[in-house]
Amino acid sequence: MFITFALITLLSALGMLLQKNIIVAGLFMVGAFFGVAGLFVLLANPVAAALQIIVYTGAIMVLVLFVIMMLNSHEEEKAQSPRAIQRWLSIAVVAALAVGAVKLVFASPGLKALAIRGAAMPEAMTLQKVGLTLFADHVLGFEVAGLLLLAAMIGAVALTKRNL
Amino acid sequence: MMTGLDAILPTLNGGLQGYLVVALLLFAIGLAAVLLRRTLLMQFMGVELMLNAANVALLAFARFRGGDSQAMVFYLFIIAVAACEAAVGLALVIGLYRHRDTTDSDRAASLKQ
Repeated sequence: MFITFALITLLSALGMLLQKNIIVAGLFMVGAFFGVAGLFVLLANPVAAALQIIVYTGAIMVLVLFVIMMLNSHEEEKAQSPRAIQRWLSIAVVAALAVGAVKLVFASPGLKALAIRGAAMPEAMTLQKVGLTLFADHVLGFEVAGLLLLAAMIGAVALTKRNL
Repeated sequence: MMTGLDAILPTLNGGLQGYLVVALLLFAIGLAAVLLRRTLLMQFMGVELMLNAANVALLAFARFRGGDSQAMVFYLFIIAVAACEAAVGLALVIGLYRHRDTTDSDRAASLKQ
Protein backbone atom coordinates (compact mmCIF):
# COMPACT_ATOMS: atom_id res chain seq x y z
CA MET A 1 0.00 0.00 0.00
CA PHE A 2 2.78 2.41 0.93
CA ILE A 3 4.59 1.84 -2.37
CA THR A 4 1.32 2.41 -4.31
CA PHE A 5 0.56 5.76 -2.69
CA ALA A 6 4.21 6.84 -2.80
CA LEU A 7 4.30 6.09 -6.55
CA ILE A 8 0.99 7.93 -7.14
CA THR A 9 2.38 10.97 -5.31
CA LEU A 10 5.82 11.06 -6.91
CA LEU A 11 4.71 10.21 -10.48
CA SER A 12 1.94 12.84 -10.36
CA ALA A 13 4.43 15.43 -9.07
CA LEU A 14 6.87 14.47 -11.83
CA GLY A 15 4.06 14.73 -14.40
CA MET A 16 3.30 18.23 -13.08
CA LEU A 17 6.96 19.23 -13.47
CA LEU A 18 7.22 17.98 -17.07
CA GLN A 19 3.76 18.97 -18.35
CA LYS A 20 3.60 21.84 -20.87
CA ASN A 21 -0.12 22.59 -20.49
CA ILE A 22 -0.77 24.34 -17.18
CA ILE A 23 -4.32 23.00 -16.75
CA VAL A 24 -3.11 19.38 -17.11
CA ALA A 25 -0.28 20.21 -14.68
CA GLY A 26 -2.92 21.41 -12.19
CA LEU A 27 -4.82 18.14 -12.55
CA PHE A 28 -1.56 16.23 -11.92
CA MET A 29 -1.22 18.28 -8.73
CA VAL A 30 -4.66 17.04 -7.64
CA GLY A 31 -3.38 13.48 -8.15
CA ALA A 32 -0.29 14.22 -6.05
CA PHE A 33 -2.44 15.63 -3.24
CA PHE A 34 -4.63 12.51 -3.28
CA GLY A 35 -1.48 10.37 -3.03
CA VAL A 36 -0.32 12.40 -0.03
CA ALA A 37 -3.77 11.95 1.56
CA GLY A 38 -3.36 8.18 1.10
CA LEU A 39 0.02 8.36 2.83
CA PHE A 40 -1.65 10.19 5.74
CA VAL A 41 -4.22 7.37 6.08
CA LEU A 42 -1.32 4.87 6.25
CA LEU A 43 0.21 7.07 8.98
CA ALA A 44 -2.92 6.38 11.15
CA ASN A 45 -4.10 9.94 10.60
CA PRO A 46 -7.50 10.03 8.84
CA VAL A 47 -8.13 13.60 10.09
CA ALA A 48 -5.12 14.91 8.20
CA ALA A 49 -6.13 12.93 5.09
CA ALA A 50 -9.63 14.46 5.12
CA LEU A 51 -8.22 17.96 5.66
CA GLN A 52 -5.70 17.41 2.87
CA ILE A 53 -8.43 16.55 0.38
CA ILE A 54 -10.85 19.28 1.55
CA VAL A 55 -8.34 22.13 1.78
CA TYR A 56 -5.74 21.32 -0.88
CA THR A 57 -7.75 19.71 -3.66
CA GLY A 58 -11.09 21.27 -2.71
CA ALA A 59 -10.00 24.85 -2.07
CA ILE A 60 -6.47 25.66 -3.14
CA MET A 61 -6.26 23.70 -6.42
CA VAL A 62 -9.77 24.81 -7.45
CA LEU A 63 -8.64 28.41 -6.88
CA VAL A 64 -5.47 27.83 -8.92
CA LEU A 65 -7.38 26.18 -11.81
CA PHE A 66 -9.91 29.02 -11.68
CA VAL A 67 -7.11 31.60 -12.07
CA ILE A 68 -5.43 29.56 -14.85
CA MET A 69 -8.66 29.46 -16.86
CA MET A 70 -9.39 33.15 -16.17
CA LEU A 71 -5.94 34.30 -17.33
CA ASN A 72 -6.24 32.43 -20.60
CA SER A 73 -2.53 31.64 -20.92
CA HIS A 74 -2.42 27.87 -20.87
CA GLU A 75 0.95 27.26 -22.47
CA GLU A 76 4.33 28.40 -21.22
CA GLU A 77 5.46 31.48 -23.15
CA LYS A 78 8.60 31.36 -25.29
CA ALA A 79 11.73 32.12 -23.32
CA GLN A 80 13.11 35.65 -23.77
CA SER A 81 16.61 34.45 -22.89
CA PRO A 82 17.44 30.73 -22.84
CA ARG A 83 19.60 30.82 -19.66
CA ALA A 84 20.90 27.33 -20.35
CA ILE A 85 23.67 27.51 -17.74
CA GLN A 86 21.31 28.48 -14.92
CA ARG A 87 18.89 25.69 -15.89
CA TRP A 88 21.55 22.98 -15.91
CA LEU A 89 23.01 24.37 -12.71
CA SER A 90 19.63 24.24 -10.96
CA ILE A 91 19.01 20.68 -12.21
CA ALA A 92 22.42 19.68 -10.82
CA VAL A 93 21.77 21.39 -7.48
CA VAL A 94 18.32 19.79 -7.07
CA ALA A 95 19.64 16.33 -8.00
CA ALA A 96 22.63 16.67 -5.64
CA LEU A 97 20.33 17.84 -2.83
CA ALA A 98 17.92 14.93 -3.34
CA VAL A 99 20.63 12.25 -3.58
CA GLY A 100 22.58 13.65 -0.63
CA ALA A 101 19.53 13.94 1.61
CA VAL A 102 18.28 10.43 0.75
CA LYS A 103 21.75 9.01 1.50
CA LEU A 104 21.75 10.87 4.81
CA VAL A 105 18.32 9.41 5.72
CA PHE A 106 19.54 5.85 5.15
CA ALA A 107 22.87 6.43 6.94
CA SER A 108 21.38 8.00 10.09
CA PRO A 109 21.44 5.66 13.14
CA GLY A 110 19.05 7.95 15.07
CA LEU A 111 16.33 7.59 12.44
CA LYS A 112 16.84 3.82 12.37
CA ALA A 113 16.42 3.65 16.17
CA LEU A 114 13.29 5.83 16.04
CA ALA A 115 11.80 3.68 13.26
CA ILE A 116 12.29 0.52 15.36
CA ARG A 117 11.12 2.15 18.62
CA GLY A 118 7.90 3.53 17.09
CA ALA A 119 7.14 0.63 14.75
CA ALA A 120 3.97 -0.37 16.64
CA MET A 121 0.90 1.21 15.03
CA PRO A 122 -0.41 4.00 17.35
CA GLU A 123 -4.11 4.68 17.91
CA ALA A 124 -5.68 6.50 14.97
CA MET A 125 -5.76 10.27 15.33
CA THR A 126 -9.24 11.53 16.16
CA LEU A 127 -10.75 14.98 15.74
CA GLN A 128 -11.38 15.02 19.50
CA LYS A 129 -7.68 14.66 20.34
CA VAL A 130 -6.75 17.35 17.83
CA GLY A 131 -9.40 19.73 19.19
CA LEU A 132 -8.35 19.19 22.79
CA THR A 133 -4.68 19.89 22.00
CA LEU A 134 -5.56 22.88 19.83
CA PHE A 135 -7.82 24.61 22.33
CA ALA A 136 -5.93 23.60 25.50
CA ASP A 137 -2.38 24.52 24.44
CA HIS A 138 -2.58 26.66 21.30
CA VAL A 139 -5.54 29.04 21.64
CA LEU A 140 -3.42 32.10 20.88
CA GLY A 141 -1.98 30.49 17.76
CA PHE A 142 -5.48 29.56 16.64
CA GLU A 143 -6.66 33.17 17.00
CA VAL A 144 -3.59 34.48 15.16
CA ALA A 145 -4.24 32.01 12.32
CA GLY A 146 -7.79 33.33 12.06
CA LEU A 147 -6.53 36.90 11.94
CA LEU A 148 -3.96 35.92 9.28
CA LEU A 149 -6.69 34.39 7.11
CA LEU A 150 -8.79 37.57 7.45
CA ALA A 151 -5.78 39.73 6.54
CA ALA A 152 -5.01 37.53 3.50
CA MET A 153 -8.63 37.76 2.36
CA ILE A 154 -8.67 41.57 2.62
CA GLY A 155 -5.25 41.74 0.93
CA ALA A 156 -6.39 39.54 -1.98
CA VAL A 157 -9.49 41.69 -2.52
CA ALA A 158 -7.43 44.89 -2.34
CA LEU A 159 -4.85 43.55 -4.81
CA THR A 160 -7.34 42.39 -7.44
CA LYS A 161 -9.84 45.24 -7.26
CA ARG A 162 -9.20 47.75 -10.04
CA ASN A 163 -10.10 50.87 -8.08
CA LEU A 164 -11.07 50.84 -4.44
CA MET B 1 25.32 2.43 5.54
CA MET B 2 24.03 1.56 2.10
CA THR B 3 24.64 -2.08 1.29
CA GLY B 4 22.70 -2.48 -1.91
CA LEU B 5 19.05 -2.61 -2.85
CA ASP B 6 18.18 -5.69 -0.72
CA ALA B 7 18.96 -3.80 2.49
CA ILE B 8 17.06 -0.67 1.44
CA LEU B 9 13.78 -2.05 0.12
CA PRO B 10 12.40 -3.50 3.42
CA THR B 11 12.97 -0.19 5.26
CA LEU B 12 11.33 1.66 2.38
CA ASN B 13 8.10 -0.29 2.70
CA GLY B 14 6.17 1.67 5.31
CA GLY B 15 9.12 2.47 7.56
CA LEU B 16 10.02 5.94 8.78
CA GLN B 17 12.81 6.18 6.22
CA GLY B 18 10.37 5.39 3.40
CA TYR B 19 8.11 8.32 4.30
CA LEU B 20 11.09 10.64 4.68
CA VAL B 21 12.44 9.62 1.26
CA VAL B 22 9.04 10.33 -0.32
CA ALA B 23 8.95 13.73 1.44
CA LEU B 24 12.49 14.56 0.27
CA LEU B 25 11.79 13.59 -3.35
CA LEU B 26 8.52 15.56 -3.29
CA PHE B 27 10.44 18.57 -1.99
CA ALA B 28 13.09 18.16 -4.71
CA ILE B 29 10.42 18.00 -7.45
CA GLY B 30 8.74 21.12 -6.04
CA LEU B 31 12.08 22.94 -5.92
CA ALA B 32 12.79 21.88 -9.51
CA ALA B 33 9.40 23.27 -10.58
CA VAL B 34 10.19 26.61 -8.91
CA LEU B 35 13.68 26.79 -10.46
CA LEU B 36 13.01 25.42 -13.96
CA ARG B 37 9.52 26.60 -14.94
CA ARG B 38 9.01 30.25 -15.85
CA THR B 39 5.21 30.46 -15.55
CA LEU B 40 4.34 31.96 -12.17
CA LEU B 41 1.41 29.57 -11.67
CA MET B 42 3.71 26.55 -12.17
CA GLN B 43 6.19 28.00 -9.69
CA PHE B 44 3.29 28.54 -7.30
CA MET B 45 2.29 24.86 -7.60
CA GLY B 46 5.92 23.94 -6.91
CA VAL B 47 5.75 25.90 -3.64
CA GLU B 48 2.55 24.04 -2.69
CA LEU B 49 4.34 20.75 -3.38
CA MET B 50 7.21 21.74 -1.07
CA LEU B 51 4.74 22.64 1.72
CA ASN B 52 3.14 19.21 1.28
CA ALA B 53 6.54 17.51 1.52
CA ALA B 54 7.09 19.24 4.88
CA ASN B 55 3.66 17.99 6.03
CA VAL B 56 4.48 14.39 5.06
CA ALA B 57 7.73 14.50 7.06
CA LEU B 58 6.01 16.14 10.06
CA LEU B 59 3.18 13.60 10.26
CA ALA B 60 5.57 10.67 9.64
CA PHE B 61 7.62 11.71 12.67
CA ALA B 62 4.40 12.18 14.68
CA ARG B 63 3.26 8.61 13.87
CA PHE B 64 6.62 7.09 14.85
CA ARG B 65 6.56 9.02 18.13
CA GLY B 66 3.33 7.30 19.16
CA GLY B 67 0.65 9.40 17.44
CA ASP B 68 1.59 12.82 18.83
CA SER B 69 -1.36 15.21 18.47
CA GLN B 70 0.88 18.33 18.68
CA ALA B 71 1.95 17.60 15.11
CA MET B 72 -1.67 17.84 13.95
CA VAL B 73 -1.89 21.35 15.42
CA PHE B 74 1.22 22.39 13.50
CA TYR B 75 -0.22 20.74 10.37
CA LEU B 76 -3.37 22.88 10.81
CA PHE B 77 -1.24 26.03 11.07
CA ILE B 78 0.75 25.05 7.95
CA ILE B 79 -2.53 24.55 6.05
CA ALA B 80 -3.82 27.95 7.22
CA VAL B 81 -0.62 29.67 6.08
CA ALA B 82 -0.73 27.79 2.75
CA ALA B 83 -4.30 28.99 2.17
CA CYS B 84 -3.27 32.61 2.90
CA GLU B 85 -0.29 32.23 0.59
CA ALA B 86 -2.55 30.87 -2.16
CA ALA B 87 -5.02 33.76 -1.90
CA VAL B 88 -2.38 36.53 -1.87
CA GLY B 89 -0.11 34.83 -4.41
CA LEU B 90 -2.90 34.33 -6.95
CA ALA B 91 -4.05 37.93 -6.43
CA LEU B 92 -0.51 39.08 -7.23
CA VAL B 93 -0.43 36.89 -10.38
CA ILE B 94 -3.72 38.45 -11.54
CA GLY B 95 -2.35 41.94 -10.80
CA LEU B 96 0.80 41.20 -12.81
CA TYR B 97 -1.26 39.86 -15.72
CA ARG B 98 -3.35 43.05 -15.75
CA HIS B 99 -0.29 45.34 -15.83
CA ARG B 100 2.10 43.36 -18.06
CA ASP B 101 -0.16 40.93 -19.92
CA THR B 102 2.09 38.00 -18.98
CA THR B 103 2.49 35.36 -16.27
CA ASP B 104 6.14 34.70 -17.16
CA SER B 105 8.40 35.53 -14.21
CA ASP B 106 11.35 36.25 -16.58
CA ARG B 107 9.36 39.02 -18.27
CA ALA B 108 8.62 40.75 -14.99
CA ALA B 109 12.25 41.37 -14.10
CA SER B 110 12.21 45.16 -13.85
CA LEU B 111 10.48 47.18 -11.16
CA LYS B 112 9.67 50.04 -13.55
CA GLN B 113 6.47 50.00 -15.60
